[in-house]
Amino acid sequence: MKVTFKIQRFIPENDTKPSFKEYVVEAQPNTTILDCLNDIRWHYDETLSFRRSCGHAICGSCAMNINGKNGLACQTHVQDLKSGAITVKPLPSFPIIKDLVVDLDKFYEKFNKIKPYLINDGPVPEKERLQSPEQQKLIEESTTCILCAACTSSCPSFWADDDYLGPSALLKAYRYIFDTRDTSAEERLSVVNDKHGVFRCHTIFNCNEACPKDINITNHIAKLKTALVTTKL
Amino acid sequence: MNIKFVPGDSGMRRWFFQRITGIFLVVLLLVHFTIMHFIGTGETTYQTVASRLASPLWKTFDLAFLVFALYHGLAGLWVVVDDYVHKDGWRIFIYSLIVLGGALLLALGALTIITFSPQMLTTVKM
Ligand code: HEM
Ligand code: SF4
Ligand code: FES
Repeated sequence: MKVTFKIQRFIPENDTKPSFKEYVVEAQPNTTILDCLNDIRWHYDETLSFRRSCGHAICGSCAMNINGKNGLACQTHVQDLKSGAITVKPLPSFPIIKDLVVDLDKFYEKFNKIKPYLINDGPVPEKERLQSPEQQKLIEESTTCILCAACTSSCPSFWADDDYLGPSALLKAYRYIFDTRDTSAEERLSVVNDKHGVFRCHTIFNCNEACPKDINITNHIAKLKTALVTTKL
Repeated sequence: MNIKFVPGDSGMRRWFFQRITGIFLVVLLLVHFTIMHFIGTGETTYQTVASRLASPLWKTFDLAFLVFALYHGLAGLWVVVDDYVHKDGWRIFIYSLIVLGGALLLALGALTIITFSPQMLTTVKM
């Protein structure tokens, strides 16, 4: 079947502002949006830019705004969308570098702020640091994040304040704060307890809707707030 | 867009008390609705209001309502400013309005509730 795509284009050398360009491709209902974009780039318009790598919803490169909803192009199928033209835009609220490619430098800076690696001052054990199944369960869901930025880009608090840490970095903070093998919870909690931190979250749930891994991000952020209020109030 | 928060706290206490006052508001509003719309005549006359306001228990209830609703509403407004007003000058201006307006409304409300006695109006009438 023929599928029409309306893709937001922006080439900084030529354009002053983004505009839409239409493409018609041949696709099956179960063709992914990423495959359609590849088709367009390979056969119709090689100037179209977008990020992708794995094609299997695990690298996090291909997050974009598809028919108004943030998600992974490689995980969204033509049949998942309403019939009619499919509108593809870059992730909202990030600076556009070109077409569907956005500038994620600041996003990664915030990620680094919460120190996204294990910190443990104790002696290094001979073998791995063991956890009980219950301890692992505390962080299991939060470890499945693929850092695609769909959540942060969907968050109205981030739209209003681009210094806001955002759901993705907060989820990662949770992942280490509640990791029983990590000893730096105190330090991370103070990074999160900032004027651009966790209390800018107003439980809007956009992040949950955007997350391609179905992580209940809002719930994890709420646990950070509770941890702060019970230890620092 | 670089936002400087004035004053720049994380908002932890505001968040906490927004929730606490929210919980109190649910309870107080339930009582309020029950009294106003399900129990009693359903009419709001001077007589019914005055007889309630004469009792110290109701004065306490109304004072609590006043404090919690004022705090909750104004702290909520403060949060909105935190999020959306990015110019320092405007922020300071609106924060001042919130504090001054809050103090004024609190004083007026408390004065009305505490000093009210049903005799007052009859004295004036005579
Ligand atoms: C049933 C009673 C109420 C409950 C349970 C309640 C609960 C809440 C909660 C939990 C928040 C915080 C949202 C956030 O996470 O930022 C909030 C915000 C707010 N509330 Fe209430 N509230 C109630 C009644 C009221 C009333 C009567 C007013 C008006 C005077 C009001 C005005 C506000 C404002 C202006 C905000 C800030 C807006 C925002 O943060 O999104 N609320 N409320
Ligand atoms: S939490 Fe979900 S939406 Fe946010 S970056 Fe991770 S995988 Fe993407
Ligand atoms: S290409 Fe890797 S997540 Fe879509």
